[in-house]
Amino acid sequence: MPARTAVWWTILRISLEERLVYRGDFALGTLMRFLPILTQVFLWWAVFTAASTGQSIDQTRIVGYSYHDFIAYYLLTMVSRAFSSMPGLASGIARDIRDGTVKKYLIQPIDMLSFLLLNRMAHKVVYYTVATLPFAFVFYLCGDFFPNGWPEPQVMAAYVASLLMAFLLGFFLEATIGMIGFWFLEVSSLLFVYMLFNFFFSGHMFPIDMLPGFWGEVVRIIPLQYLAYFPAAVFLGKVEGPELIQGLWIQFAWVVLFMFTSRAAFHLGVRRYSGFGG
Amino acid sequence: MTMAVVEIESLAKSYRVYQKAEGLAASVAGLFHRKYRTVEAVRGIDLTVEAGEFVAFLGPNGAGKTTTLKLLSGVINPTSGTARVLGHVPWRRENAYRRRFALVMGQKNQLWWDLPAAESFRLHQQIYRIDPAEFDRTRDELTGMLAIRNLLSQPVRELSLGERMKMELTAALLHKPDVLFLDEPTIGLDVVAQYKIQDFLKHYQRERGITTLLTSHYMKDVAALCRRVVIITHGRIMFDGSLAQIVDRFGGHKVITLLFADGHIPGDLGVYGEVISEEPPRAKVRVDRGDVTATLGRILQQHPVVDVNVEDPPLEEMIAEVFSQVDESAGKDGELVVGRGG
Amino acid sequence: MPSGPSYLRVFLTFARNSLVRNMTFRGNFLIETFSSMSWVFMNLGFYILVFQHTPRIGDVSNWGEYSFAWGKYEFFLFLSTTLMVNSLVQALFMENASEFGEMIRTGTLDFALLKPIDTQFLISLQRIDWSSLGNLVVGIGLAVFSLHKIGWVPSVWQVLLFMLFVICGVAIMYSLMIALAATSIWLGRNQSLYNFWFYITNFSRYPMEIYRGTYGTPLRMFFTFIIPVLVVVNVPARFLVRPLVPQTPMDLLLPVFAFVATVASLVGSRWVFNRSLLSYRSASS
Repeated sequence: MPARTAVWWTILRISLEERLVYRGDFALGTLMRFLPILTQVFLWWAVFTAASTGQSIDQTRIVGYSYHDFIAYYLLTMVSRAFSSMPGLASGIARDIRDGTVKKYLIQPIDMLSFLLLNRMAHKVVYYTVATLPFAFVFYLCGDFFPNGWPEPQVMAAYVASLLMAFLLGFFLEATIGMIGFWFLEVSSLLFVYMLFNFFFSGHMFPIDMLPGFWGEVVRIIPLQYLAYFPAAVFLGKVEGPELIQGLWIQFAWVVLFMFTSRAAFHLGVRRYSGFGG
Repeated sequence: MTMAVVEIESLAKSYRVYQKAEGLAASVAGLFHRKYRTVEAVRGIDLTVEAGEFVAFLGPNGAGKTTTLKLLSGVINPTSGTARVLGHVPWRRENAYRRRFALVMGQKNQLWWDLPAAESFRLHQQIYRIDPAEFDRTRDELTGMLAIRNLLSQPVRELSLGERMKMELTAALLHKPDVLFLDEPTIGLDVVAQYKIQDFLKHYQRERGITTLLTSHYMKDVAALCRRVVIITHGRIMFDGSLAQIVDRFGGHKVITLLFADGHIPGDLGVYGEVISEEPPRAKVRVDRGDVTATLGRILQQHPVVDVNVEDPPLEEMIAEVFSQVDESAGKDGELVVGRGG
Repeated sequence: MPSGPSYLRVFLTFARNSLVRNMTFRGNFLIETFSSMSWVFMNLGFYILVFQHTPRIGDVSNWGEYSFAWGKYEFFLFLSTTLMVNSLVQALFMENASEFGEMIRTGTLDFALLKPIDTQFLISLQRIDWSSLGNLVVGIGLAVFSLHKIGWVPSVWQVLLFMLFVICGVAIMYSLMIALAATSIWLGRNQSLYNFWFYITNFSRYPMEIYRGTYGTPLRMFFTFIIPVLVVVNVPARFLVRPLVPQTPMDLLLPVFAFVATVASLVGSRWVFNRSLLSYRSASS
């Protein structure tokens, strides 16, 4: 076991170094990420001023959200996405399968999913190290959008748990999609569709409460909401009490489900792969 | 009187590269402060090439050969020094100059990967404004010489490396350049393809009298094509002359091949020189150039030899020796001893 | 001896070659066209949702002279303008800009520098992505549909001015893109370039009157006068929705400014491009 930990530590460290080399990208990327929020701040102000016929803007509600809630929501989904987004993971796996790099994991005593997970954790750790300051700064600037301040400790704990699970869910979900590469050589269009659905139905673009009828039902069933919407809703107190506990359990169930699906897909894929003689 | 086509004076090029730090702590530090190293690719080169010459640049990797070619094609700007090709300063990139030369790089391709080469050629015709009739004639002539006419309508990605290189050459010569820069044109090719490209270049260069500068790792290219050789190491010219001169100056040895009548190789062969190989009934001995006659006489007296062959060591070996000599002298005082070639 | 090639003919050959290339990978072409269109429809869906909760975006009563309250279909006209500008930028320049970065990385920029043709022209237009033109069609369709819903028929002059300023918008976006791409000569690998591009142009996707108040006004000024992305869509879109006769001085001044900004952006980006080439190092192999 200690030997194994040493290997993992080495992988983590190398990944960290690799990430740190591209300093310029990092600093710019983090700052840029907040720019779209800025346009949302103004867009929703324009929407709320137009919607608030006769009453003050503070009183106006759209699907139960005040203007402040909307902006707070967008800021919080940024945090959710910082955990759940996995840029390049699925396409990287598909590429490794296509060009045969995947063989490396079959020869070397390294488990591919664990390796990628560690790599991703390193990626995220570096990102948080660099991003915490800008994040804190932006949240400090936007303190006014959080009139209720920090949530209760229990809610906070649930929020942290939902974020960590969002990371795991994002990872295993994308890894599963990447494994499809074992069966279809071209997964980029599939990935695009996933990205599209993710953007719209995870709650990244708008709170999913805005979706009426059929689409609203669908979005509540599929797991995408746990990548962005759910943690933010927990923080804002949109889900409370038994509903919150239930939500966390469902999120956990999705994580476990995709953990097994990705592993099963890998094993089936490898069998198929070696069946073809690689 | 011949005319200088390429005139280079104390041309130098250096650039900074980011030095990646080892270790996690250093990587973190690298976020805030970066270390750079200055690479002096070319450290002051003087060279004149006359019209119609075929010159080879030799040198180990990173010696500055390719950088020199790139400077002459105006792709990069020099740090200092001057150069004129056909009377133009290359890095001004005037159209009048760009219409008169071509650069072929064995490791990079310019043809559209997914389209038939014919389409890329057509584009060339328009960019270089080649008269349509003349374009057709030149294209047919070149593709005929290179035996690739039947491949013109196949997407480039489906061609073999050798066929692709021939297409690249054709593309480069469509506008009938007066100066041709070839950077490793036969790299990665099999022997047959290499030979065909050498053959083509030899004929084309002779027929059109086009001034050509070539860099190559394959001594066969050089031996087949160039009368003049320029050796560049550490960004400086350390030899400039003919291949024969290299042999005179650096080929200190000859290799004697002996065929013994009784099929038995004598055990004391080592006294005459370094035994390179023993494959009964044949043996090869390396002997100092000056001692060849004397040594050979002694061997013939002592042993039943039926056949003798005296030759220069392979060119590769000699060039490697030249390179290593430069490395040694560079190691001593950090300054290079530049050969008095020419 | 002719001094230079015929740029129009070279461009047409680029377009033709790109089309041949696109058609060799027909499946891919269709998928790309389809996916970029579905992106548009999802976006449209979002605004349909928004307009279920508000009659318009922006409030005309208490701000500025150039302001406009965008009702649902007026806003869709705005969106359609965004679509047209973006699809043109993507079709003409996007692939080239990313290819430019790749050429710098691999050193194949060498070949572009050798050609007796303007290097910036060659780099910027070599590949045309025909699949992105699908959104141009969607944009035109959306514009016609929205105009029909409003019951407004713009005059020929309005349409011509609209087209002129769409072209200006495309030129501004192009300048920004090529200048950004050129910076990868200095910065090496540059992934955030496209993020940067996306985030900056994100500001252009909304009517400029939403940027108001203590923070909004400076932001509007910045993205109008320093990085003029706000005039890219706003100016042409207004030619479709507002009467041609200027109602306020700004109706006249902003288009004039947009025109000046276009010229300035083109000149500026050319300067950046040429400067960057001086630092080009040409990677070996």
